[in-house]
Amino acid sequence: MPLIRKGANDKSAADVGAQGDNASLLLGGDRDQRWAAARTLADYPDGGKALAAALPNEQDPRVREAILTGLIRHPGDASVTAILPLIGSDDASVRTGALDALRAMPEALAARLGEVLADPDPDVRLLVCDLVRVLPSTEASRTLSDLLDRETELNVCAAALDALAEVGGLEARPALERCAERFAAEPFLRFAVRAALDRIGAPSPEPRG
Amino acid sequence: MAEPEPVTQEEFGRLCEFVYRRTGMVFTEAKRYYVQRRVNDRMAATGATSFASYFARLRSDVKGEVEQFINAFTVNETYFYREDHQLRCLTNDILPARTRDKRKGDPLRIWSIPCSTGEEPYSIAMWLLDNWPQVDAFDIEIIGSDIDTKVLEAAEAGIFGRRALMRLTPDTIDRYFHKLDDERWMILDDLRQSVRFTPVNLVEPGETRPHGQFDVIFCRNVLIYFDDASRRIAAENLFDNLAPGGFICLGHTESMSRISPLFDVRRYADAIVYQRPMEGARG
Repeated sequence: MPLIRKGANDKSAADVGAQGDNASLLLGGDRDQRWAAARTLADYPDGGKALAAALPNEQDPRVREAILTGLIRHPGDASVTAILPLIGSDDASVRTGALDALRAMPEALAARLGEVLADPDPDVRLLVCDLVRVLPSTEASRTLSDLLDRETELNVCAAALDALAEVGGLEARPALERCAERFAAEPFLRFAVRAALDRIGAPSPEPRG
Repeated sequence: MAEPEPVTQEEFGRLCEFVYRRTGMVFTEAKRYYVQRRVNDRMAATGATSFASYFARLRSDVKGEVEQFINAFTVNETYFYREDHQLRCLTNDILPARTRDKRKGDPLRIWSIPCSTGEEPYSIAMWLLDNWPQVDAFDIEIIGSDIDTKVLEAAEAGIFGRRALMRLTPDTIDRYFHKLDDERWMILDDLRQSVRFTPVNLVEPGETRPHGQFDVIFCRNVLIYFDDASRRIAAENLFDNLAPGGFICLGHTESMSRISPLFDVRRYADAIVYQRPMEGARG
């Protein structure tokens, strides 16, 4: 029988130990050290602070991923504050990582959504529309309706409509109709509003097409 | 004995929080019936007369109740040669890739997690013996791990019912099993001794890390029970437990790409699997 059975457990090379110098390693170690330090710091009750401090300058995707996972394990305003700037990154993988991480800490995110939906960068507002889905449906519907009423960018409105079609209720109807009026010259948006109205159970009398 | 009172909304919430913190498994309101059934079973087994007294016992881990409770929550039904397309992929593509740079006699490590009652790690051993001509050329180590210690005892015992053997040919059963009676077969001792079983919580790095690095990990149909945060932790643990260039096989409904960007997707003829990049290959 060629298959063997080993006795003792192996010692992992990745075992960095739970030493107090992980915060320094996270900032100054090589990639494997930073990865291991990020994962170890996530276990410390106050490890979020060091993780948040390291996130802005971390360029390695694997280490960044470990930091984001660690911050998810320390959900709170400090973690959200550290992650939010990444949404505006030019790198799609950074943006996606940030959005995934924020989605995984809904309570901490909820407290900051209003502020982020007022970000001067329309790309940020557009991406955050999807995150509103983490709120309870009534709150999500109200937040997206408020956004629709003040939003000037067509694509942001379209993203809000997309989310509203899924999480919105009848209470969103007035905001949807106002949006259609404001963008009456945009057939695409009028179509999106009608689709959203259909989805929330408030079909528009206006015919499609 | 009468059925205990159903748990209240608040009790259900506290219990689910407890299970989540200990295992990473998430149970929502939709699973309330499933949870209630298991609570009732454990209350009956421990003689608890109210949920409050049972929950106090659970939190204090009286007589290892946490382990018993977690055992009651895990889903352990499986059978030999389940998702055998991945076993074909293992011998057709994964192992040739992993052994290209190995020398004769080098270790080749395979991890089945969760392994439930042992069908998967034993299937891997049988499949390799029957389908991989190079099986004698390497020191193959197969480890089966699970959070449920009861199933590990069953896996060690190696006794299986008719249903677990339904995908095996009579010839395969004859070669690898000893018939105990009309309904039970025991896996041959040589094969039983070739697999080591260990208790592991997949979301606890302190438990996964000591297992070292593997060439191939089978991690099927468990990540679906985790929430986003636990999935990410599990994925990072699995990453650490893979040698650079090592492969991970998930269940056919699961996608690592939706969980973590750490792995490369590999599309082979028989299966889509995920690979830890070679050192320096990216990032």
